[in-house]
Parts: sequence; structure tokens; C-alpha cells
Amino acid sequence: MNWTHVRSRDVNEAVAERMPVRAGTDVDTFAALYQRTFPRVFAYVMSLLRDRSAAEDVTAQAFERAYRKRSSYRARRGSPEAWLFGIARNAALDELRRRGRRAGLEGEPADHDAPTAEDHAELALRREVVREALAKLDGHERDLLSLKFSGGLSNAEIGRVLGVSETNAGTRLHRALTKLRKACDDAS
Amino acid sequence: MTHPDSDNTATIERELEAVEAALRAGAADHQDPFVRELQDLGLLLQAEASEPDAEFAEALEQRMREGFPAKPGSARALADEVHSGLAAAVAWPRNAVRRMPSPRRMLPAAGAVVTVVVIGFGLASIDLNRGDQDDAGSGGGVDPRDLASEAESGGGAGESAPGAAQDEAARSSAEPAVPLAQPDATQSDSGSGSAAIAPPTPGGGFAPGRSNRKVERSISMTLEAPDEDIPALAQDVTQVTNRHGGFVLSSTLNSDEEGANGFFELRIPAGRLRPALADLAGLATVRSQSQSGQDVTRRHVTTRDRLQSARAERRSLLRRLELAETDEEAESIRRRLDIVAGEINGLRGLLRDLRLRTDFAVVSVDLAGTEGDSGSGGAGGSFDDALNDAGDLVVGLAGVLIRVLAIALPLALIAGLGWLATSLLRRRRRESVLA
Repeated sequence: MNWTHVRSRDVNEAVAERMPVRAGTDVDTFAALYQRTFPRVFAYVMSLLRDRSAAEDVTAQAFERAYRKRSSYRARRGSPEAWLFGIARNAALDELRRRGRRAGLEGEPADHDAPTAEDHAELALRREVVREALAKLDGHERDLLSLKFSGGLSNAEIGRVLGVSETNAGTRLHRALTKLRKACDDAS
Repeated sequence: MTHPDSDNTATIERELEAVEAALRAGAADHQDPFVRELQDLGLLLQAEASEPDAEFAEALEQRMREGFPAKPGSARALADEVHSGLAAAVAWPRNAVRRMPSPRRMLPAAGAVVTVVVIGFGLASIDLNRGDQDDAGSGGGVDPRDLASEAESGGGAGESAPGAAQDEAARSSAEPAVPLAQPDATQSDSGSGSAAIAPPTPGGGFAPGRSNRKVERSISMTLEAPDEDIPALAQDVTQVTNRHGGFVLSSTLNSDEEGANGFFELRIPAGRLRPALADLAGLATVRSQSQSGQDVTRRHVTTRDRLQSARAERRSLLRRLELAETDEEAESIRRRLDIVAGEINGLRGLLRDLRLRTDFAVVSVDLAGTEGDSGSGGAGGSFDDALNDAGDLVVGLAGVLIRVLAIALPLALIAGLGWLATSLLRRRRRESVLA
């Protein structure tokens, strides 16, 4: 299967730098899509599940499912990234339902990336505040922020994944970000 | 605290663009403190993104490069095998075409194949033509030309068709003669083979070298037409008979709710038999036909000779009567004359009857009515019939299509709605964990 190389218009560079994006190629392959999206997909799934082992299983399951269903992809229905993140999202939500992990979403996220000794104390503190604030958001809002900042998707791609328009996705994202900011203010 | 213009779409877009810019630059540098805070949040959330373990990343990439192989013996492996088998089966024709040599290189082989096919088809068609002749009248339709030619081959032997008789004489000279002692030849056919129903062998005659053979012809044919056309067809049969100098000996015509049919017994002059049969066959579809012929030449000759003898005896008796000297002798001659006169009358009647039977062929025509327009079916139908059949076929297919759609469309609508509802329900249930 040939993938049309679609680079997210507003993917953040920090995320992009971590991904080996093959720029300048006309014909993309599933391997290229994998290389381009694997870290982002894992980060997104991890943000939902908050369980590294489960995130690895779901990430692998999502890519395998996408590989087997790759012939069903239609370019007119969105970018390959949006299609792949939709699959990953469904797999993660199914896993959450299957394991009754609702509490996991609402609870304190696991501290896998705890600040090291080298981290500045202020940064560590701010991270802690953000995590507490995230816990006060509902699942939809955390999902939206994860798609944006962990998955690095554009608003249009987020709209595809969630089944809403790009404008609606942007509005929701802004609302969630504003709410998170307020929660951070309240927590600090 | 919320931004004063946070509900404004333009403001939202501007602030989101500022966040995107901060993510790209890796720093929050907007002048508006509120927006700068959003930028900081975005950078923090981005930094919070977890990275996969190198070991997991390497293992998954390996699996991806191997095409995510299924575990041996698992249901997935079995499904993969089935899928690959089906894919190979589907791809085989395409691959076979690709493996074929170029068209230019295949030209000689293709030419040879075409030649063989053409020759084979030609040979088969020759056999078929022979088979068709053999099968004439056995089923659907009979070619009027075949029927007429069969009739001509024997019908022209009568005295009333001298031209044909000459042809027959010419042919008879090349054919073995039938022994004089041979009884009257009788040949008949039930209509299952035109070759078998040929008239008595012209050359195998009773008297070698003589062409005026006497043959009784009996032909029966069944004409098929729609019920409503039977009355008109009966009139046409009568007209054809009259036009060729024949007459209708008897006829019946039945028409009721169950259908129509008729029967005609015709007498057609032997010399006009061929065109008459051709015309009759052209009136409708010839469902079947049969023909029989009986050579009565010997009986005719015998009767004629006996008549000549009787006449000669009568002339002799008349001479003896003139010379009779006594009354007893004259009386005896008169009694004998009466007997001979009776014989002469009988033989003349016999000859007249024989001549009638050989000069006129007996043609029995059955008119068989069919329901609707079935008479136009088969290979014997005209172009109009073919058009009608095609129209009926299209109407029938359209009817079937409408019925199928009447069932399929509601089912498809129900299935579509069900699929939509299932999708929405599944999505809602899936996202319920986010609520």
C-alpha cells in the first residue's frame, strides 16, 4: 500500500524532532508511517492508559491492526496519522473498558517520568502542578490534550479522530487548555 | 481567570496559533501574559509525553518489518493462510497474463489456433447441416425449401409433370433398376428424417427405361400458430390450395377458450406439389411434417394392360357376333360381351381411381394453436418475433429487478440504519470511559 505523505501542518517541532519524519518523499509506506508516528502513538496511548506495559501492548496492537486494515484507508477521509490515531484511540479505550480502568484515567498518573536530580526544582514543581490540574479535567478533555500535545496532531486531524470539525476541535482544545490553566492556578 | 475574549473565535484561533508557535520554537514568548501561560502549559504537556523503551521500540519495529507475523497455530495464523491463499488465487490470472509472451511473439501461435478453430468449426457445420437435413421436421421448425424439394423429388414423376419426369428419367438411367418381380414399392416416413422420406427411387422403377411412373403421395404437416391466428391461417390454407389447382377434401376448425386447432385434408396436383408445400409451410411455423410415397406403377400398368386385353376381347367378340350363324352361338357371344363390358368398366374405374390418386397428392394439414405468441419462438421466428421476444425478455427482467429491489432496498435501508446505530452505540460505549 502506498501512503500519501501528509505532514501535519502544525505538528510541534519538538515532537517532530523525536520522530524520523521522511520529508520529501512522494510515496510513503507503512514502514515510513510507523517510523513517523510510533513515538507519538505510544505517548498518546500512554497518556490515556498511564500504564507502560498496557501502553506497549495497545500500541503494538494498534499498529498491527492498522497494518492488517491498511487497505481500508481512504485518503479522502483524512491523513494517515488521523486514521492511525483513531485506531490507537479505539484500542486504548477498549483496553480501558476491558480492564475497568476508569479510575486510572481519573486518578493520579503514574510518575514514570519523575524529575531527576538534574531537573530544576521549579520545573519539577510545575510538572507536579500540571499533573494535579490534569486530574481535575474530564476524560474527554485529557484525551483532547493528549491528542494535541502527546500525539502532535493538527486540529484538523484531531477533528477527524473525534468525528468533529476542525473548528470545533480547536474550540474544544482551547477550552480544555484554558480550563487546565485555571486548574493550575487553583492548585498553585 | 479567563481571557476577556476567550469566546471569540478569532481570539481562540490566535491563541492556538501562539501555542503552536511556542511548541515549534520551544519557548513561550508571547507578550500577552495570558497567552504566554497557555504557551507554557503546551510546552509542559509536550514535555510530559512519555517515550517508549528502546527494547520495546526495537521489538515492535522488527515485528512491523516482518509484517506482524501471527503466532504459529493461532487463529490469526490460520486466517492469514486462508487470506494469502485467496489473494494468490485472485492474483493468479493477472500474473499469468503478465508471464505471457508479448503479443507479437504470440501471433503465429494465435494464427494457428484460429485456423484450427475455423477448420473445426467448418467441419462441424458441415456435419450439422447434414444432421439438420436428417432431423427436419422432428421438432421446432422445418425449412419449407427442404419440404418442397422432398416433394419435388417424387411428385414430379407423375404424368402431369413431364419436365420433372424427364429429369427423373435422366436420373433413373444412372441408378440400378428394380427387378420386374418386385412388388409395389412403399416408402414412408414419420417426419423424423427427410432423407428417409424421399419418394420411391425414381430409377428403381417397375419398367426400366420408362419415366411415367405412378406414385401415390401422402404428406402431412403440422402448422403452429397462436390461437388467435388459427382462423386466418385456415383461410390461408384454403387459398393456397385453390391457387395451386387443388381442392379441400375435408376440413375441421375448432376454437374455444382452451385454444384453437384445425385439420385440412387437401388434394394438390402432383405437378404443383412443390410450390404448394412451400406456400403452406410459409404460412406459419412448421412444427412437424411427414411424407410417404407408394409406387403403383405396376398396378397401373397391369390394369391398363388388362383393360386393353378386355377391349381387344370385346372387339373380337363383336366380330364373332357378326359372323355367328346360329342363335345359340350369338346368345353365347352376347353373354360373354356383357361380362367383358363389365370388366372393361371396372378396369376403367380402377384406372381412373389410380390416376386420381397419383395425379393429386394427399396433403393433411394440422393447425395447432399455441397460447400467446409462442408460435413465434425458436429459430423459425421472424425479425418482428425476435424483437417481440427481446421486448418480453427485457420486461421480464425489469420485473424481476423491480421485485428484487423491492426486497433488497428496504433490507439495505434497515441494514444501513442498523450499521449506523451500531457504530454510534459502539462509539458512545467506547467513549463512556472518558466521561
